[in-house]
Amino acid sequence: MKTGQWLKSPKGQLTSILAVNLILAVGASRDWKGILIAGVAVAFAVLTDILIGSIKKRKRMVPDGAVITGLILASVMGTHTSWTIAAAMTMIAIASKHLIAHKKKPVFNPAVVGLLLAIPLFHAEQSWWGAFGDSPAWTIALLVAEGYWITNRVRKFPQAFSFFGTYFLIMLVMGMFHVGDASDAWRAPFINGALFFGFFMMTDPPTSPAKAMDQVIYGVIIGTAGAVVYSIFGGLIYFFIGQLAGNLYYFLKVRWPNHKKQTRQPVNFQKRSSL
Amino acid sequence: MANMSKKWIVLCTAAIATVYAAGYWDTESQATIPNAAADDQVLQAASSEPSINNTYKDGIYSGTGMNRRGSIQVTITIEQDRIMDVEISDFAMHYSESDIVGLPDEVTQSQSATVDNVSGATYSTAAFEDAVQDALAQAAIH
Repeated sequence: MKTGQWLKSPKGQLTSILAVNLILAVGASRDWKGILIAGVAVAFAVLTDILIGSIKKRKRMVPDGAVITGLILASVMGTHTSWTIAAAMTMIAIASKHLIAHKKKPVFNPAVVGLLLAIPLFHAEQSWWGAFGDSPAWTIALLVAEGYWITNRVRKFPQAFSFFGTYFLIMLVMGMFHVGDASDAWRAPFINGALFFGFFMMTDPPTSPAKAMDQVIYGVIIGTAGAVVYSIFGGLIYFFIGQLAGNLYYFLKVRWPNHKKQTRQPVNFQKRSSL
Repeated sequence: MANMSKKWIVLCTAAIATVYAAGYWDTESQATIPNAAADDQVLQAASSEPSINNTYKDGIYSGTGMNRRGSIQVTITIEQDRIMDVEISDFAMHYSESDIVGLPDEVTQSQSATVDNVSGATYSTAAFEDAVQDALAQAAIH
């Protein structure tokens, strides 16, 4: 694929958006460590992807997905994260993409696996700085515009709307009954995290459904699980737990049954004999 | 693949924006950042006049530090111009309190609000430092 074609593809456009956002976020916060973290995350993501790909003797060795995973991880982890933790987190994410897989596609969102496991393993923190968590309020409008653009390109509006609708409705009820820290959920940096997650992380094509009804259920599961975890435990891992629940639903209810149907399908001898 | 018509995209966007606006408006009073100066107080101050060379007045003081990730309130005890005790009286950060459990001791040992950044707890460390600084400002002899 040529550079021009790649830039027009959803992967190329998402990569460009994430990279531009990181540069804007660094400019707004004057926290130059963000550039170092992004460089480390992308470099280790690409190296790990190529290494595992060559061990598994993959024919396609273009690490474009790994670049996106690295940029997403860099956007979410704190800019003060040490480079060794950033590298380890990224390697875990890419390893999960290859190792927890079904028919060469990851079961769980790789970035989410890396971010979640990095909390107990490395005591890593998340800041969502690349989602403009520490930037001026107008950047939220930019995040929404970019999110609509990408969601449209990958045709994931049903899941995005069902996620935001469910999550916001539960947070509204929580706020009305003064449960948890519902007030924070509507404001930066938590609303930035929700938008970034719903538009750029949840919409990962290999780990999310294609059909509209499956997308709606997937969004409802993630929104509900995320909001419930937030109300009970608070913290910052609620989206990650929600994402794993959604991935599990998609795998068990859609991908695995489809795979079983395909393997059970009788061979069409008539068609074969005509060849 | 799931395509959505523009009409449905507009309708869903409007519905979600309405819920967002309702949630934001409903929690406006809960989210208002408390006035640190109003919340912070001199819990107990010594009645005797401090020495002219002292930096702080004896007593127990409360201070608050906050950022976009939450707030921390501390209570510090000053005796004979020294920080004798620091306690985290309220922890409302979106991170674990255990991350910064060693910081109060660091303040009493160094006799300063400045502490080493805790890896994985940058925002909690910053809020803690601000809270101690706020309490010390109240204890300071002007």
